[in-house]
Amino acid sequence: MVFDLSFLTRHLPDFERALLLTVGLGVAAIVGSLVVGLLGNAFRNLPLPGARLAVRSYVELARNTPLLVQLFFLYFGLPSLGIHWSGLTCAILGLTFLGGSYMIESIRAGLDAVKKEQIEAGLSLGLSRFQLVRHVILPQALATALPGVAANCIFLLKETSIVGIIAVPDLMHLTLGLIGLYYKTYESLLLLTLAYLLMILPASWALARLERRLRYGRQFA
Amino acid sequence: MKIQRQNFFLPTLALFGALALLTYLGCTKKTADSLSSIRARGELVIGVFGDKPPFGYIDQAGRNVGFDVALARELGRALLGDEKKVKFVTLEAANRVAFLQANKVDIILANFTNTPERAQVVDFAEPYMRAALGVIVPNDSPLKTLADLKGHTLVVDKGTTAESYFVKNYPDIELLRFDQNTEAFQALKDRRGAALSHDNMLLFAWNNGNPGFRLIESNLGNADVIAPAVKKGNTELLQWTNEQIVRLRKEGFFRRAYESELRPHFGSSIKDPSTVLVEPST
Repeated sequence: MVFDLSFLTRHLPDFERALLLTVGLGVAAIVGSLVVGLLGNAFRNLPLPGARLAVRSYVELARNTPLLVQLFFLYFGLPSLGIHWSGLTCAILGLTFLGGSYMIESIRAGLDAVKKEQIEAGLSLGLSRFQLVRHVILPQALATALPGVAANCIFLLKETSIVGIIAVPDLMHLTLGLIGLYYKTYESLLLLTLAYLLMILPASWALARLERRLRYGRQFA
Repeated sequence: MKIQRQNFFLPTLALFGALALLTYLGCTKKTADSLSSIRARGELVIGVFGDKPPFGYIDQAGRNVGFDVALARELGRALLGDEKKVKFVTLEAANRVAFLQANKVDIILANFTNTPERAQVVDFAEPYMRAALGVIVPNDSPLKTLADLKGHTLVVDKGTTAESYFVKNYPDIELLRFDQNTEAFQALKDRRGAALSHDNMLLFAWNNGNPGFRLIESNLGNADVIAPAVKKGNTELLQWTNEQIVRLRKEGFFRRAYESELRPHFGSSIKDPSTVLVEPST
């Protein structure tokens, strides 16, 4: 077998484009999921009847159905109800729907880990509800939740590889397309692997760094 | 607690290197199954489509059926004496080559058009059908010819001749590429593309069952042929398949299969079977 180097250079621009799209998609999904995760936990703790159940139901629904099915529903199912979203919109919404549920659970674990005495101490100092959340609960909860949240972020970046089924031209979609068109399997897979490493290694490194920073105070505790 | 920091980069790289090497070795290993080992196994593994009527699809009882499947059963009968000894592997257009290369199937019978690019990576046997491309649009579409498609989105299946034809000849037409037929046609129905291109016979068949669409092109591209394919270098199986195709042509098998598998789907769109079949004289 001959390794076709000119194929690599010829299709590098395609991979650049797909990488940008994949990163954009991943970042949008991560931001969306974090927002859903925070709002979901806030909503969960409201003194509303059924709030807890509603969040719980969403989490179970989103976590126990495959992303593939969720994307198909958004892309092929909704048009029959008159809702036409583009492939990219469906991809972002689908990833956020799935990622949000994971984020809710990770952040909830962090919140649950904040000791009751901390909250009581804050209250006894006369902190307002907002101050209590902002200065006592969230800093500790997020530090505990971060490893889980970081894992979810990496998970979402990798999970973008499935959006090709609704014809969103991400890295995986491009690679499978090139293999199907030119049968340069090894060359395409090499570029794909490099592109994913280029995207995920820095993300992984940055998240690990953030984790160390947030946990700095703990090594003395 | 202080956590020991480790450098993960080199081990990761080494792991990928090892994986790549293993994959490479796995794929180049000379296990192109010859006839005797298929006989010893007692099972002929054939890759067919699962969602492309009338060539290869699943009927309501969950059985593989279609024109390609009928041919596959015939090959099984010839080699192993029993058509039940054929094991069907359902695959998509884009992964046909990979299934052969990884020795997952012995023969591909999945409406596989013989193209120069493909002929470099698999060995095609004698053809049994002819193919050209068609383009289909909704009835109320203003598009009349191929030239009107410029600036519009065209739905195609990944890894099909339709995709490569438009990539090469009409780079201005934006393509929306799907893995499976079902999704591609659903996307056309949902108006996610202005038109859809596929093998003309497949479009004839689909159009027959789905009113509301019309063909604006039905004879596009090179006059291609459709043939069985085996793994590159598997000469013994290739020769055997060639002999079978020639024999089946002479015996009129393809005419019979046309009547039972294709005519009901094509309706009146194809008058003369010889326009799509490769006849004994050629």
